[in-house]
Amino acid sequence: MDFGFTDEQLALGATVRDVLRAHCPPAALRTERRPGWDQLAALGFFGLLLPPESDGLGLRLVDVLPALEETGRACLPGPVVETAVAAPYLVAGAPKLASGAVCVSVLPPGQAYAPDADLADLIVVAGADGLRLVAKEAVRLTPRPGVDPCRPLFEVAFDESERLSGPAGPALRRATVATAAQLIGVARELLAVSVAYAGVRTQFGAPIGSFQAVKHQLADVAVAADFAAPLVWRAALAVEGSAATADRDVSAAKAAAGEAATLAARVALQVHGAIGYTEELDLRFWLARAWSLSAAYGTTAVHRERVRASLVAGDLGRYP
Amino acid sequence: MDLDFSPAERDFRAEVRDWLSTNAPGPLPSMDTTEGFEAHRAWEARLADARLSVVSWPEEYGGRGASLIEWLIFEEEYWAAGAPARVTQNGIFLLAPSLMRFGTPEQRRRWLPRMARGDDVWAQAWSEPEAGSDLAALTSRAEPAPGGWRLYGHKTWSSRAAYATHGFGLFRTSGTRHKGLTYFLFPLDEVAVRPIAQLDGLPGFAELHFDGVYVDESMVLGEAGEGWRIAMATTSSERGLTLRSPGRFLATADRLVALARSAGDPALADRAARCWVEAEAYRLHTFQTARRIMAGEEIGAAASMGKVFWSELDLRMHALAMELLGERAGETPWLDGFLFSLAGPIYAGTNEIQRNIIAERVLGLPR
Repeated sequence: MDFGFTDEQLALGATVRDVLRAHCPPAALRTERRPGWDQLAALGFFGLLLPPESDGLGLRLVDVLPALEETGRACLPGPVVETAVAAPYLVAGAPKLASGAVCVSVLPPGQAYAPDADLADLIVVAGADGLRLVAKEAVRLTPRPGVDPCRPLFEVAFDESERLSGPAGPALRRATVATAAQLIGVARELLAVSVAYAGVRTQFGAPIGSFQAVKHQLADVAVAADFAAPLVWRAALAVEGSAATADRDVSAAKAAAGEAATLAARVALQVHGAIGYTEELDLRFWLARAWSLSAAYGTTAVHRERVRASLVAGDLGRYP
Repeated sequence: MDLDFSPAERDFRAEVRDWLSTNAPGPLPSMDTTEGFEAHRAWEARLADARLSVVSWPEEYGGRGASLIEWLIFEEEYWAAGAPARVTQNGIFLLAPSLMRFGTPEQRRRWLPRMARGDDVWAQAWSEPEAGSDLAALTSRAEPAPGGWRLYGHKTWSSRAAYATHGFGLFRTSGTRHKGLTYFLFPLDEVAVRPIAQLDGLPGFAELHFDGVYVDESMVLGEAGEGWRIAMATTSSERGLTLRSPGRFLATADRLVALARSAGDPALADRAARCWVEAEAYRLHTFQTARRIMAGEEIGAAASMGKVFWSELDLRMHALAMELLGERAGETPWLDGFLFSLAGPIYAGTNEIQRNIIAERVLGLPR
């Protein structure tokens, strides 16, 4: 029993954090489509989960959770989860994947639109007959309105595609856990900026963060994020250890992380007040990310329903 | 990172499970009755004979020197087996950590083994009529007397004091507010005890009146005037994982899901499933905390996050059971559990105080 990150896992997270602070600052979210990607690629970020025969490092999902949390904290645009986490289990043989030169989007089962498909060289589409791989040249994308300006959604149509023979499960479970890790990062950043603002915004002659009505809301966000995170870590271990409860553990993690992030967004907006309700404050990007990722790879309601169905069916086994 | 139990931990779990399956009694009468108190005390003696009453304590005091993880395993098995509530809990979970850390070797030898068997049962005496959440406002005092001290004042909401043999609490020996408080142990036989019935009609509380009760120097825990610091170390254990380990809530969550399944209402089943996952979240969070403690970290103010989480989860679970059972609730143990869960957000520092602590000391918001 050693339920915490190693120094190496934390160091990878810290490196990603430093890179994104330098190359994906909030201002870049307004002007660039993929800020920080070149620098992440130079670090080898997109090969972390790929096997050595695909020029990757062959790390486990749990090894990269702190790094993924940082991509959420930075509100990093682009199909990060799809390219760095899903693709290694869908199209590991695709050339140049490890180098970050190939960008992948995924249209998962149960979802209507592919995120960031405008950037994708390859799109993996789940259909009634399994997974299909579509090249950029063969796809017709129709933009759809969405909540997140940095994670645009596209309807995908295509004529030519290649059938992918492997199962979707390993990639989708990992992508769901990775999205949950990003949501934890989003929640923590929303909490941090709200705490900072509550410490400097003064009304009635005192910082608003000194008022209990504000304090208690922020405390609730801290509790929600702190208790959702271990569910995400556990899900990563369950998936890679092929635990019997892995699917339920993934759903429990995604639902809890999504709820923590949406609570953090709700409270962040309330603490900021009217300035938070504007397009000009950077907060809007994190609010949008909390909402968009909560709906990605299964909404919170879908995952809650999966957990309920498993428990009502009588499976009360726990991992560990 | 891993979530694997070692072979020794698995063996320990198997031993505890096996012992409880043959030794755990059925439901006992409430510990807040004369008969139930003695029955719970007898159960503690049986646990102690099997060296299972305080597994994490050193062997010389009746424990096994079990690791924190093994203690959590013990708790999971204990509550899953439906074993009795711990009549010794104020002593073994609240006082003992302070005794181990601040007590003299003589005090530890004198009190811990008896506490571990339920020979002495300890009541806590923190609150006063005008000092609840604002504990430092307390006015009970101790005056020097030859060879010791005389205690004066009025304590209330003292859990277990109606039947317990001993108490512990803070008395002012000098100064104001947090300064000049001293941590005293005292036998209850010379204290005027007025039992107070709780919501269930039984005297789980008592009021204590001290009219010059004499205690000798050996009944001071730590240095005179250091009581606040020592008490805070105790309350940190109370809020943290010693008082309410995950095992209790995992067992409740399993029973709740079974109840919801038989009721067949999908909306209520959804709430039960949510509680079940939250109990798992508390368990996993505790494994993470245990790792930090075993690495020598102080948990400090972060313990308040756990206290808010488990107390409100417990209340949600029992409130849902009441909804599921309707007017049949009184025929089941859920009613007593519900009443008990209502106290969770109040004792060990109200959840309002906990949220202040989280906001100010974890998040760094201005006071």
